[in-house]
Amino acid sequence: MNFFRRYLAERFVASVITLLGVSIIVFLMVRLLPGDPARVLAGLLATEEDIQRIQIELRLDRPLYVQYGIFLSRLVRGDLGKSARTSEPVIQELKPRLAATLQLAFVSAGLAAVLGVVAGTLAASRPYSRFDYLLSLTTLFGVSMPVYWLGLMLIIVFAVQLNWLPAAGAEGAASLVLPSLTLAAFSVALIARMTRSSMLEVLNQDYVRTARAKGVSEALVVARHALRNALIPIITVVGLQFGTLLGGAVLTESVFGWPGMGLLLVDSIFSRDYAMVQGIVLVFSALFILTNLVVDLFYAVIDPRIHYG
Amino acid sequence: MTRRLVLAVLVCLLFGGVMAGQASAATFRIAVGVDPDTLDPVQMTTTTVANMVDYVVETLTFLDQEGKVRPMLAESWSVSADGTQHTLKLKKGVRFHDGSPFDAKAVKWNLDRLKDPGVKVPIRAPYPIKDVEAVDASTVKVTLTRPSAPFVSALSWTTAGIVSPASADKHGNEYKNIVYPVGTGPYVFKERKKGESITVTVNDKYWGRKPTYDTVLFRIVPEAATRESLILAGQVDLIILPPVADIPALQRNPAVKVLLAPSDRTIFMAFNTTKAPFNDPRVRQALNYAVDKSAIVNSVLFGAADVMDAPTAPSLFGYCKQGAYEFNPAKAKQLLAAAGVKPGTKVSFIHPTGRYTQDKEVAQAIAGYLREVGLEPVLQTMDWPTYIKTIVTPADKGNTTEVHFLGWAPAFLDSAQQMLQFLSSYHPPAGLATTFYKDPKVDELIVAADSESKEDKRKELYCQIAKKVWADAPWIFMYVQRFPIVYSAKVRDVGGIPNEKFYAIYARPTQ
Repeated sequence: MNFFRRYLAERFVASVITLLGVSIIVFLMVRLLPGDPARVLAGLLATEEDIQRIQIELRLDRPLYVQYGIFLSRLVRGDLGKSARTSEPVIQELKPRLAATLQLAFVSAGLAAVLGVVAGTLAASRPYSRFDYLLSLTTLFGVSMPVYWLGLMLIIVFAVQLNWLPAAGAEGAASLVLPSLTLAAFSVALIARMTRSSMLEVLNQDYVRTARAKGVSEALVVARHALRNALIPIITVVGLQFGTLLGGAVLTESVFGWPGMGLLLVDSIFSRDYAMVQGIVLVFSALFILTNLVVDLFYAVIDPRIHYG
Repeated sequence: MTRRLVLAVLVCLLFGGVMAGQASAATFRIAVGVDPDTLDPVQMTTTTVANMVDYVVETLTFLDQEGKVRPMLAESWSVSADGTQHTLKLKKGVRFHDGSPFDAKAVKWNLDRLKDPGVKVPIRAPYPIKDVEAVDASTVKVTLTRPSAPFVSALSWTTAGIVSPASADKHGNEYKNIVYPVGTGPYVFKERKKGESITVTVNDKYWGRKPTYDTVLFRIVPEAATRESLILAGQVDLIILPPVADIPALQRNPAVKVLLAPSDRTIFMAFNTTKAPFNDPRVRQALNYAVDKSAIVNSVLFGAADVMDAPTAPSLFGYCKQGAYEFNPAKAKQLLAAAGVKPGTKVSFIHPTGRYTQDKEVAQAIAGYLREVGLEPVLQTMDWPTYIKTIVTPADKGNTTEVHFLGWAPAFLDSAQQMLQFLSSYHPPAGLATTFYKDPKVDELIVAADSESKEDKRKELYCQIAKKVWADAPWIFMYVQRFPIVYSAKVRDVGGIPNEKFYAIYARPTQ
């Protein structure tokens, strides 16, 4: 257990260092973008004095290293600064947005994992059957479709034609259906393919043949002996996909008007809201790092041979 | 296993259908594309945001659907002979939503806040306020730093909205940042879900005519195609700005009505008049003849615009019709040859993308026409912040633009703001006169018009400016955008105000 604790501590330190790196990169990146935030904020009708006043207010007149110093000293106190666009603390703006994005990402990831693993397992248990070919075709479709197009198609069918579901918004569980299906489509396809190939490999192993030979039912062979051993690469993909889902949320949120961080990020980039962009990217990075950690820990749960220390 | 899953999904879909079908008849639902940066009247810069705040916060004056200035919270006003003192008589017996009285003190507090340098006021320029005096409970005297005839018109814009001073430290509000607007309007602010919606409920004690709907729900839907789906699915009652290519199909659809409301947004291609060959008026005129503007309006904008026939939109005070540069490529070539522009001359042409309706497509069409008359346009697109940075580079600090795409929509419907585009003291970095057009006579006339208090005389001055500018052609005068509003055929009394606002406060069901 001590080893495990040390492992966690090491991972934590590594994560902090990674985040620090991310903070520097994001900090520089937003400032390297051409365009003056004060000018964008002030609008077309503003006077030169208004623009100068905003520049001073946002401390854009200070040297870069001073700006970074201010940013970092606030960051360690858990303060991400104030949004230039909305004049409100970034943390306060982020909280509800993060909740909305996580809700969408978790539902999509759950959907993708369940649908993907089930479909992949079924295809692998009857390789080169009609179902298998159908699945190959569907997954090809799934990985090739642009999120944007799929989202609009689903809206046209389920909201406009059938009027079963809301076309946009975040009111109640029903409004979650279309965005999460859209967001999950790519991941379902990828996870199904991964599951299928991983399962096929395992199903040819000696221990599976042994299990069958001693009369274990086929369902149990697949579920217990094969799937568990095939899970490691699948979990890796699911974990990585969770990161992709967070990123994909940017487009999906725009199409469905989902009030998440992706939507906020787009608005913030276009208004050169430095503090907000930094905050969002840091949160995204932290989530990505956390996901990787969770995936690593899962390995140990699934495969007792894996130890950390 | 799969069967059960399919069943679960189906149940989910059906359940969802029931939920989506539910909607209170007393709620009017509007889908807009912009998530407000602020709800504070003085801090806003976006018309759509102002449009929503107008339900809650009222202004001293009001622009009607013809663009005329009408009384609102001010019943009448008068201007001193030198144009620097405006005396406003206020409506009596009006109360804010929090019960506090609307009076001269409240107006003074708001106008003082508008001029306070400590408060972020992006659109401060039209309000050159020096001093505000509450003469008595219902009279306010405003002294300006310079004569400004359009000041009363400027008071109709949401920046000068009157909020309750008593609310400035409640509901999370601060003097510097109002997040929960408390006004005198027909609706009371109820709730905002950021990135999602704003809800307002009817003000039972409203001083004016009461609206029909108990609640108005503004939904934030950035994607135009999704907004269109919402109205087609009957999940909202009104949307603004549908995908412009779908306007003809929407016009044929009996379930919805399309209103292409007049607006004041002029779209033009600005020349850098300091740079050869665009310092020669003949070249600028030539390019005006070279482009078939009606064809672009019809096939690229699907009719949602009108070709410009003056340097301002017809909805502005001071509009003065000048006619047209007809489509005449032969004449264009002639003028280019006379100015010594050789065929194959490269022209740098920059444009934003996604900022104005069909901006990229229009730019490409124009480039095609320029090619027809022998020029070699080099198109380049940029995101908005980069674009603004590029075009406001001062002429003597390396502004290398030649032709750029721009739209200009005065906040209040007066030529004063539009004419700033032709004022030499407004060249970048001081302002946004990005053509660097300079004409001493025009400069003089613009300043004179701004302080002229007699309406006829002002109109006449703007006519003189328009004539000169039209002939000098610092722009390719393109078109005035229309503002597309789509609403359900089940509602009526929906209109537009010609500064890109919808007017649906008094919307009601058809039956």
